[in-house]
Amino acid sequence: MQRELSTYPLGPSLKNKLIQSGFMLVDDVYHLKPSELSRETGLSLEDALEVIKTVTEKDGDPTDRQSKGPKTQSALEILQTEQNQPNIITFCQQIDDMLGGGVPLSKMTEFCGAPGIGKTQMCMQLCVDVQMPKCLGGVEGQAVYIDTEGSFIVERLVDIADATIQHCNFMLKQNQDDVGELKDFTLENVLKGIHYFRCHDYIELLANIQLLPDFLKEHKKVKLVVVDSVAFHFRHDFEDLSLRTRLLTAMAQNFINMATNYQLAIVLTNQMTTKVRSGAGSSGQSHLVPALGESWGHASTIRLILHWVGNVRYALLYKSPSRKEKDVPYQITVGGIRDLIHDEDEEMGADNNKPIKRQKIS
Amino acid sequence: MSKFDHLDINPRILTAIKRTKLTSVESVLSLSGPDLERTCQLSSSDVSTLKHAIAESIPKPDPCTALDLWKEECSNNLKIKKLSIGCDVFDNFLRGGIISRGITELSGESASGKTQFCLQLCLTVQLPVTHGGLAGGVVYICTEDAFPNKRLQQLITHYNEKYSGLKERIQFSDNIYIEHISDYDGLTYCIHKKLPVLLAQGLIQLVIVDSVAALFRCDYENHEMIKRAKHMNTFAGKLRSFSQQYNIPIVCVNQVSDCFDKSSTRKVLPALGLTWSNQVTSRFILAKTSCPIQLENSIPNESVDGSVRKFEVVFAPNIPQIVFPFIVDKYGIHGLK
Repeated sequence: MQRELSTYPLGPSLKNKLIQSGFMLVDDVYHLKPSELSRETGLSLEDALEVIKTVTEKDGDPTDRQSKGPKTQSALEILQTEQNQPNIITFCQQIDDMLGGGVPLSKMTEFCGAPGIGKTQMCMQLCVDVQMPKCLGGVEGQAVYIDTEGSFIVERLVDIADATIQHCNFMLKQNQDDVGELKDFTLENVLKGIHYFRCHDYIELLANIQLLPDFLKEHKKVKLVVVDSVAFHFRHDFEDLSLRTRLLTAMAQNFINMATNYQLAIVLTNQMTTKVRSGAGSSGQSHLVPALGESWGHASTIRLILHWVGNVRYALLYKSPSRKEKDVPYQITVGGIRDLIHDEDEEMGADNNKPIKRQKIS
Repeated sequence: MSKFDHLDINPRILTAIKRTKLTSVESVLSLSGPDLERTCQLSSSDVSTLKHAIAESIPKPDPCTALDLWKEECSNNLKIKKLSIGCDVFDNFLRGGIISRGITELSGESASGKTQFCLQLCLTVQLPVTHGGLAGGVVYICTEDAFPNKRLQQLITHYNEKYSGLKERIQFSDNIYIEHISDYDGLTYCIHKKLPVLLAQGLIQLVIVDSVAALFRCDYENHEMIKRAKHMNTFAGKLRSFSQQYNIPIVCVNQVSDCFDKSSTRKVLPALGLTWSNQVTSRFILAKTSCPIQLENSIPNESVDGSVRKFEVVFAPNIPQIVFPFIVDKYGIHGLK
């Protein structure tokens, strides 16, 4: 075994002593007895025992990711898994197309926007959509909703859930499929599938995120984690900006880990802030940018900015590794997020509740 | 006795953490894994055990499902209470009334009916729950001009008649706590010292600030905008924490400012900018229209020109964007269908 001892989860002082006394690789300690190691390095007998235990134990266990490191995958394999993974549709065809089929699993998606643009509505819509049955192109998962602002109003969720269920039944009937398949897709089950966490301050938020992996282990069906909004607690009464950056980065790291380990989608919302451009020619001009600063911009894989153009809501794909930048309109109806209906199909627009035909129906 | 003693983990880890300068659980959670390993001289598996134990020890609401919320089988603080406006049309449009979540903002030009709306809430909040109220008192923080006592008395007379059939007679004027404030320092004192005491007694079910704009619009120079933003956030944060802790609605009145853009029509936006908007949960705008009405009971000095006003829901988590007309008369505000 050529693995270096410093890569093991040992205390820094232990590592130091080992290296100082010339123990670099696993082979160096592998066949030693604790007493011998202790004599050679000056470690206490207990510490020496711990070193040997860590090295030998973890090594023999192929399921432990920490000792082996992440498994390598070829690009082809990743492509295949990604293509096989369903997306969570948003119920707005144009946003789905822009994202390549919807909000992807195993990735972090961030929705930014001014107050009232529909970030919370989008989150609620996704929480319901993630539970759509597989036969309709859904993910059939569950959702975790971490609410920091207190704007999660369950009666609104019921509106959206009702409309979605109605729509699914309507689609199945149109395709003359067995409606029996939708037995489980009822309001009660949809509501049961949304786990609500309320965080009153950033400490609670951090604690919840710390404990979330355990929750996910218990609730394997969870395929979506929503944080609405990530910015809220970090934007007021936070004097130490470098601490904020560190916390946010650590949080993003935790989320990415969860997203890849459990193949789930992470959806975050963020507020907007005013940035004043300095420099000649444009001095004094201000424009809106997502809050939490430049470094947070790197955190999420996909970033959408929701904004107004006149009286129409638009979603702008601002950052995405695989799709091109695009700006599409959408609207919010009683039933949730929908496509903006143009004049030519006004007869459909007459009833906002009326389900809009989607492409992804098998 | 350190804060860490109640943690249920290996004593070896506890000794390690006590050796360090870290005293609060918050500071431990705020540090990254490698940082903790360095400061505590612990291995990474020990650090994750430690962080986990600390995260568990932090008091926080248990997760519940949306179904629990819907059936109201959750902790009392998560149940949404609604305060009726005292008019069926309003309650219908607002789906039951003002929610006990975050800050509800009422903005509009002067004389658009904001204070009338607030006065009415002062009375409805005292009604029993069966009548749409919250059976509690109200704190009315006045910052602009004197509290319109005369008008309140007029409304009280009307409410006394209207609810004379109630078992327990409500002394409407006994449950309205009025506070006049003229600057930010006074406001800080009021919301950090006075309000918590009143709220802790459980008598208060509604806090009204009329208006926030007056305080934050005049006292700050142009170069003090960052300070203003900080003050606003602290203030809003405090109000929100009251709303959360006691599960009560908070109503803030705001002014409007004109907004210039390419279109020629006049447009107004609520004042105080994006910083404040980010703190607002529901935003309503009141405005006058030029459409006149003739009402039998209207009194000239209350509804000045007797015109119809409009009530607009700009955003709210549970209400769609709607606009509907309303009027102000002797008996308060009334929505029109």
